[in-house]
Amino acid sequence: MTSLPAKPAAGSFGRAARRLEARFALPLVLAAMVALSGCVTPPKALVSTQAQPPQSGVSKILIMPPDIELSEVTAAGLLEPNAAWTKAGHRNVDAALSQALAASVSQVVRYAKPKDGSDFEPAHVQAVKLHNTVGFTVLSHKYVPALELPTKKDRFDWTLGKSVASLRKSYDADYALFVYLRDSFTSAGRVAAIMFAALFNVHLQGGTQVGFASLVDLDSGDVVWFNRLARQEGDLREPEKAQEAIDLLLEDVPL
Amino acid sequence: MTPRRPLTALAALGFFCASCATPPPPDIQPGETPSEETVEGGLWMHMDRAEESLKTSGRVVQDPALNEYVRGIVCRLGPEYCGDLRVYIVRSPGFNASMAPNGMMSVWTGLILRSENEAQLATVLGHELSHYVKRHSLKRWQDLRAKTDGLMAFQLATGMVGLGLIGSVAGLATYGSVMEFSRANEREADRGGLHFMVRAGYDPKEASKIWARLIEERDASDEEKPSLFFSTHPQSEERQATLAKLAEEMGGGADYDVGRERFLALTSQWHAEWLRDELRNRQLERFHVVLDHLSEPGGNQGLVLFYRGEAHRLEGGEDARQKALEAYREALRFDDAPPEAHRALGLVYWSMKQGEEAHAAFANYLEAAPEAQDRQMIEYYLERTP
Repeated sequence: MTSLPAKPAAGSFGRAARRLEARFALPLVLAAMVALSGCVTPPKALVSTQAQPPQSGVSKILIMPPDIELSEVTAAGLLEPNAAWTKAGHRNVDAALSQALAASVSQVVRYAKPKDGSDFEPAHVQAVKLHNTVGFTVLSHKYVPALELPTKKDRFDWTLGKSVASLRKSYDADYALFVYLRDSFTSAGRVAAIMFAALFNVHLQGGTQVGFASLVDLDSGDVVWFNRLARQEGDLREPEKAQEAIDLLLEDVPL
Repeated sequence: MTPRRPLTALAALGFFCASCATPPPPDIQPGETPSEETVEGGLWMHMDRAEESLKTSGRVVQDPALNEYVRGIVCRLGPEYCGDLRVYIVRSPGFNASMAPNGMMSVWTGLILRSENEAQLATVLGHELSHYVKRHSLKRWQDLRAKTDGLMAFQLATGMVGLGLIGSVAGLATYGSVMEFSRANEREADRGGLHFMVRAGYDPKEASKIWARLIEERDASDEEKPSLFFSTHPQSEERQATLAKLAEEMGGGADYDVGRERFLALTSQWHAEWLRDELRNRQLERFHVVLDHLSEPGGNQGLVLFYRGEAHRLEGGEDARQKALEAYREALRFDDAPPEAHRALGLVYWSMKQGEEAHAAFANYLEAAPEAQDRQMIEYYLERTP
């Protein structure tokens, strides 16, 4: 059923629309992660086998703007993005990140949108896009046993590459923390479908909270530390629950 | 218990379908933005993020003159919406354009390359503008959501009582229905686009020509006609015929603008780059049709002939090689033939073991392009030919 094109971006001449559809495939990958995390012992956070963690009290950490989207799961399992929830999620995650890093001995700076209202620096947007891509690659190949890569078996050496140096220059920071989160909630119809299906021992998935975070060395671009979240609980719309999610995600971040 | 189940399912269907009867939203007004609380607000937010990402894509053409020109056409078609739309020219071969609900319009360079004049490009831009005004993204999403909700209820009901086959037939029917809705939107956008064209003073007769062009390309290739049932868009034949008929009804205005000179003045300088992109796409039969339409006297004849030769060279075989040879030779009679035509000629001669001719062609290449990056490679060939 979910093979139907789930795209709000209609009105195209064809291939571009399918390209847009790819954007909607990412939450599906994450939803699959949730399903998998139920049956496999989830690995803990991953620590780079080649890069150095921040030096406590010396390193300066840049918090990148979290990439967040909250949506509703329709009865058939489509994800409908919700702007008001997403806004609340942003607010709560921002506060939770500050709280989580308050005890850190490292110096923390936040990425700021240009004050004149102009666009983000393109190189910085590229860094966030690249982090998303690398993050999904790590999720696929480090957390899904069937997709494990022989060349990455005993190592964790993913990198964003030298291009992140532009962030280092702009903020005089040594490391950057990237966060990607997707949170979804069941619609009334989905709840009905889940209950109805459960009567016949069929499991339908409800809302999920999924995401990942990386600590990146801004000199080499190496991912120093990586962790992911994949569960069927939590709610980024509420401050306390957002705090809980961020605390889980950053549980053993070396900051 | 079995007899009760269909009733439960029907009850569930009614519950799922609470949103099925939403009346269609009116046209979007200039300057209007949806509230965050609405479904439309969610779609906008989602596409705002996509736009943020597209903005920094290396595939977006940054040239100010070309951007200003294409945007100018959009604003001429819908001046009241000009401030609500952002137009991105995406460097990509093939015929395509798209409209996101938040006003992000993407236009592929392959579409500009295939348009013969400003009015034909305006046909597609007007169509996309119409999608925006009619809120087609929102309507398609609502349609998809309502229909899949209903299907879910139906499949649960039939699946649970062991009617799996009926459930899957219903799935297919839903899919067909969602696609039909999409095609209805496309037809509406074709009509709407034509009205924008006429209002802006473009000749509506040009609209059907761009579809004739697509049909020609498709027929030239071995590809099958896409099955209507699985198509988001009506078939090109239908679109062409309908647009031609509508244009006929609107009558011929003497002042209608086609804008061919203006169009070529701003776009023909890009042909070299865009033709290279098309060639790399390796749809050679389609590529020949593109070239057919560009090979008019006074156009970039040397360039077009060079790419004709390149297409033949890629086709392979003795026959094609002869054709390539002829095309390159012909190309070099025109001033705008790229230096690479000499090199290509040399390579064909080389493959035919005609050393003398190859040598001359390679020498001509280096003379025409002394800074060529592959100079050393060419010198290697020169040493090995008399």
